Amino acid sequence: MAYDPRLASAGTATPDPPPPPPPPPESAMAASAEAELADRTAAASSQEQQSDSYKLKFCTVCASNQNRSMEAHLRLSTASSPFPVISFGTGTLVRLPGPSINQPNVYNFNTTSYSQMYEELLAKDERLYRNNGLLNMLERNRNLKWGPERFQDWVPGMPRVDHVSKGDKGALGSEGGVVDVIITCEERCWDAVVDDLMNKGSQLNRPVHVFNVDIKDNHEEALVGGKAILDLANRLNEAAVQERRAHNPQGWENGTGEARSSFDEKVPEILAAWQEKWPNLPALWTLAWL
Amino acid sequence: MAQSTGNLGDQVAQLNAARTLVLGDAAFYPQIVNGVLPIVGARAHLELRRWGAEFLAETFSSPALALVQKEQLSAVALQMLRDTLELPEKDTLVLKHIVEAAASLYPLVFRHIINHPEDTAAWENMTAIKDEILRRWDSFPFPVKVCCIKFVQRVVQVQTHGVTDPRVRSRKDPQATQPVDVDVDHFQRPEQNETSLAIVPRNHPLLSLPNLEAEASGLLDRLLSALQEDESDPLLVNATLNSLSVLVRTRQSIGNKIINAVLSFVPAKQARTPITPAVRVGVKSMERTARALMVNIMRRNNNHPLASKMQQHIDRLMQSRQEAVDDSSKKRGLPTEPTDGLDNAKRARLEAESPPLLKVPPLPSGPISYAQLFTLTEDAGLSSFDVKQLPVDLLVKIVVPLLARVEPSTMYQAVDAIRSRYQTVQKQQAAQPPPAEEEDDDDYEPEYQPMDVAAPETEQPAQSTEPADLQPDLVSLGPFVLPQPPPLSETEAADIGRGAVGRVFDMLATSTTAPAAKGKGQQNLGFSRLAGSTFDRDAWVTLLTRLATRAPAGLEGKPDTGKPTISDSIRETLYRYILEDFRGRVNVGIMWLNEEWYNDRIQMKFAASQRTEDDEEPSVNIHYDKWSLRLLDGFLPYLDSRDTKIFIRFLSEIPEVTIPVTQRIASLAKDPERVNLCVQSLMYLIMFRPPAREMCLNAVEDVYQTYEESRPAASKVLSRWRPHSTVLEQTLVTRTENQP
Repeated sequence: MAYDPRLASAGTATPDPPPPPPPPPESAMAASAEAELADRTAAASSQEQQSDSYKLKFCTVCASNQNRSMEAHLRLSTASSPFPVISFGTGTLVRLPGPSINQPNVYNFNTTSYSQMYEELLAKDERLYRNNGLLNMLERNRNLKWGPERFQDWVPGMPRVDHVSKGDKGALGSEGGVVDVIITCEERCWDAVVDDLMNKGSQLNRPVHVFNVDIKDNHEEALVGGKAILDLANRLNEAAVQERRAHNPQGWENGTGEARSSFDEKVPEILAAWQEKWPNLPALWTLAWL
Repeated sequence: MAQSTGNLGDQVAQLNAARTLVLGDAAFYPQIVNGVLPIVGARAHLELRRWGAEFLAETFSSPALALVQKEQLSAVALQMLRDTLELPEKDTLVLKHIVEAAASLYPLVFRHIINHPEDTAAWENMTAIKDEILRRWDSFPFPVKVCCIKFVQRVVQVQTHGVTDPRVRSRKDPQATQPVDVDVDHFQRPEQNETSLAIVPRNHPLLSLPNLEAEASGLLDRLLSALQEDESDPLLVNATLNSLSVLVRTRQSIGNKIINAVLSFVPAKQARTPITPAVRVGVKSMERTARALMVNIMRRNNNHPLASKMQQHIDRLMQSRQEAVDDSSKKRGLPTEPTDGLDNAKRARLEAESPPLLKVPPLPSGPISYAQLFTLTEDAGLSSFDVKQLPVDLLVKIVVPLLARVEPSTMYQAVDAIRSRYQTVQKQQAAQPPPAEEEDDDDYEPEYQPMDVAAPETEQPAQSTEPADLQPDLVSLGPFVLPQPPPLSETEAADIGRGAVGRVFDMLATSTTAPAAKGKGQQNLGFSRLAGSTFDRDAWVTLLTRLATRAPAGLEGKPDTGKPTISDSIRETLYRYILEDFRGRVNVGIMWLNEEWYNDRIQMKFAASQRTEDDEEPSVNIHYDKWSLRLLDGFLPYLDSRDTKIFIRFLSEIPEVTIPVTQRIASLAKDPERVNLCVQSLMYLIMFRPPAREMCLNAVEDVYQTYEESRPAASKVLSRWRPHSTVLEQTLVTRTENQP
């Protein structure tokens, strides 16, 4: 038998196991999921249509409901398979940078629209606000929804049907005024959200996963963050869809081990896996109540 | 098949349209709910059941629907939910929504039943749902378990006493769209009182207050058990923690219990190996959620009695997480560094930061010189180079830039090396007494190289400018004498004394009683044993009693100075300590009074011996009488007719029974319940304490005369021990007189 001298240094130690295969790209995973589905009974396949179209409902939160939460709102609501999404700010007022650091532009939540702000800043100093990106941002925002909303003023469960008729992006599916997942963009906001949910007294008795994805408040980071949040949303939604499939009685026998564990149970693992891919966006999570 | 699928799809579409309708206008709810229920009932298709359960959960939690309407709809919904649940339902999502709906319905139905006790069907359905949920709680799939936590929290909230606002007289028409359980403090004047046990009438035919309260207490324990288990799932822990805030806020009676449970919860303990990234996410989330809860509680109530404890716990949580999880994450961080060559810059930098290890040659054995101590180079030429040959200004020119450029880590390493050398030498010298001077010189002279220092040691040049004298004794310092502390003022001394006493009392609380085996051994020693020779509680008690009685005896001036003395404060503390639990601490009392009595005797003897002819009566502070009566007065009011044994033991073991003591005992007879206690204790003293017999008999006579109830018992004692008592005869006479 041939002896490989290169192994000598390894002594009797067992050689390293081969590296695990790289995770298949998402499209491949979806394809394999579909292949799995094809095996199912016709009865189950009637569910499939329903389950596949199932979407978790999201809520994105930052300080002013302008930059980070709106970038994420855009990403989630305009994804190839769009998610229902609503967004909020946790600050007391909407603050936008002004001509100097101590002259911010301040607006009220809930009563000022993005369009109003856009017009106002355009009139004030178009060059400045064009250059610092504010006008672009407001332009984006006013195409998404009417105006910034304050998280603390949100009454969970209050129907938001009018947002559909207003054409807010992400309003479809979030008419009920409830969400399954809240994603904040800063630890301060996460603290504020968890605290506010406790204060609201969880009237709906409905669990909600509250994540934080720490994103620096600038346009570039917001872009990266938005992408990362969409990634997280896709991962979570996939698990939720799997749960709806695995737990119907017809599919019960088919699901094994991992597939059977519920969406809720998988959340820490999903977040941990996500975090490895996005190590620069420190994440945090809890399960709270709406 | 296609037919049924198509039908199903149509049905779901229709249902969704109906939902959109009610979301648009809540007024349609009654109509829609009643119309939808038959379609989505217990035996409907899974997809329809899921839709139905979710819809009901949404309906009964909706802030848009008025309470009165929810209450009206609850009857039909309860029936449908119960049927579905008991079928039994197996689908996780349906179950999840059923439990959510039940959590919303529970306060609603509870309030309904308070006002309509005749609606037994609704209550029966609600109870059946509750029981079923509680029964299956542990076996439910995970997402349902999570919802059970919320359901149980609602039940606990409803079934404990809340705050009622007296301004709200009775149930007004609850047209308010706000749910009932919104925090009372959000409103100046609530429309109606929050649903809680506090608004249940005592004589309610269906709701029995004690049962409901007991159930709630049991459920709370079960709820909090998620925080007490060794291995809890972060999901359940977070769900629990996030549901507790409202209970702490609105239910004072259980607030502290909850906070204490949270305080004793340490998420880092849950960090089992292997610490996977998911475990880290879980631990961090539990820690942050616990923190959020405590911050929430503290913000609501700034001067919460447990606020400082919570703050401490928050700090500790942060720390423990860093140790348990983040530490390992740092260790794990390195291998994840890209190693594909793209990142060479980073890696090079990392390497540059770890300094070359300085080689520290061992010191030669035997006595060494300063020069040797500071020499780190092994280069013979370098170490024999005499720096003194260089002019000072040149030296300065060399040394200053050298100092500026030296690598800090190398510098630290060198300093550390020298320090450890120095310490070893110090130890060696401390171990062996320094040899005589002449010998030293002999040993050192030949080896002594005055200027053998030129290693890249930065402090060496400075060192070398000093006269490199031979100093064999590096550490021989004269004996160090602490300066006398400034004298204490009298109050300071008293304060410090009290502090010391306080600490000894703390020892009482913490130290345990001696182990049984040891105790036995001690008893066998009999009279030859020494009090206070072990460090158990008895020893501390002995110490305290003697501290109070003997230590300051004769030092405290005249009895009439009226100043509080340290011994009196110890006595006071002892007195309170005993009264806190006189049944358990009666032996402490006995021990103490014995010491007092003994000390009084010794003092009197001493005073008598000091007495000279022309002296007046010696005055001695007598403590025994005062404190025995005070102690007796302290616990007599709490004495119970069942405490006979303890009381008799006390009376029999105190060193002296005085007339005031017998009077105190006699006063017990005022209370008809304690007459027997009184007579029995007196009888005991009569029988077994001859010196006190006469005064006790007098006391019995007194009791006999004064209190009718005592006569049967007291007459027996008297006829046995004082058969010719005048009292007995008198009563006999009066009795015979009264009988015609």
